[in-house]
Amino acid sequence: MSTQQGFFKRDFSLIALLLIPVAIAINIVGFQLCQLLRLPIFLDSIGTILVGAIAGPWVGAVTGLLTNCINGIFNPVYFPYALTSIMVGIVAGLLAKRGMFTKLWTVIIAGLILTFVATICSGLITAIVFGGATGSTGSIITATLLAAGNNIFTSVFSVQFFQEIADKLISVLVVYIVIKGLPTRYLSKVKYGHLYTTRAKRSRVRETSGS
Amino acid sequence: MQKSITGLYPGTKFIGALFLGITAFIVPTYWYSIGAFLACIVLAFLAGIGPKFLRTVRNTLLVLAIFMFGIRTLFGGGETVLWKWGNLSVTVESLNNATTIVTAILALGAALLLFFLITPVKDITAALENAGMAPSATYVVLSAIQMIPEMRKQSATIMDAQKTRGVETEGKLLTRMKAFVPTLGPLVLSSIASTEERVITLESRAFTAPVTKTRLYVVTKERRDVVIQVVLIALFVLIVIGRIALWLL
Repeated sequence: MSTQQGFFKRDFSLIALLLIPVAIAINIVGFQLCQLLRLPIFLDSIGTILVGAIAGPWVGAVTGLLTNCINGIFNPVYFPYALTSIMVGIVAGLLAKRGMFTKLWTVIIAGLILTFVATICSGLITAIVFGGATGSTGSIITATLLAAGNNIFTSVFSVQFFQEIADKLISVLVVYIVIKGLPTRYLSKVKYGHLYTTRAKRSRVRETSGS
Repeated sequence: MQKSITGLYPGTKFIGALFLGITAFIVPTYWYSIGAFLACIVLAFLAGIGPKFLRTVRNTLLVLAIFMFGIRTLFGGGETVLWKWGNLSVTVESLNNATTIVTAILALGAALLLFFLITPVKDITAALENAGMAPSATYVVLSAIQMIPEMRKQSATIMDAQKTRGVETEGKLLTRMKAFVPTLGPLVLSSIASTEERVITLESRAFTAPVTKTRLYVVTKERRDVVIQVVLIALFVLIVIGRIALWLL
């Protein structure tokens, strides 16, 4: 019990707790902004990835879960996809721990890994829970692929993959830009902030030049 | 009548919604699921939010149901073919399966939708606190819901400001894409920066102090809530036992 509480205190500091509602709002407003600009993607996980990257996987997972719960209030279809959001939060946190959000090319690799995670989770949910279609933009293409004689999993996964890859790559790039724009004063207060501060960069340079 | 439904304890409403939704998956006939779905509509009208409920169902669940039904019937497979064209075929089995699963999902979705329409989030979080959830956790949920409309307003302001500076927000796909980062970037940065001030505000009001908190808003469980909950849980257990018996025999 005491270790559990210690873990909770360590990851969910007050600033991390307050970051969660902001990230949820970013997820939902980002999604609405996409619709306003009539972009053919969702971009509903920018907040989740950002929190995972600066405050750790568990805070990211909670952000993902709550985002889908709040979306689910207005449309219950979102509830099963909470699994995808949780996984995106956790994976973003684990990637950040290995410093994947510090350089542009590793950020792109992180985006690709997140694409695979999201495709597998969302694809399984769409295929198993909803039998292939939820009535969103990709559903008609899925139906066409099915009619062409493809297996249900092949159809769902291929549609999902092309939707996710643009989505996740843009999301991680926005996250990368945002982290660059955050002041050191703020980064020093969150769990993984030390990975992005200038001092960390300088010490890393010294390490590599020394060895 | 309206008051007697909306005035129930949030936990009671939730158990009721789960009861309707989950039994729709357990009872093996789709007539039950259709009945549960219709029951949700009746309850919505009794609670005085009928038209709003029907509109939400049409916009969310109906689209899902039509797509699911179409795909499950056309690609479900089965023996007794009714209609066939290339890879597509409608069979008695696939029609049956599709109706069973789609009506069950409709019932569960409608029950959850109804629950959230007749229960303010403030009530849900208050009931969760009664059940022993930490006040900081319910604060996170409530402030997220308050923050969304506020941030939407702010994003409109930022978009207008960027338009004035000459950022194009209309036109080709690429142009619209390029408008995304200058709009979202400042929004994210400013909202994240505001959490720092909020930490100071909350700390100065002893948010993290390890004492029991007093509450301004409380929900209380009444006698009828206990009765309804016990009856629903007992019915649920009976239905599960009945289903297992049916499955074994």
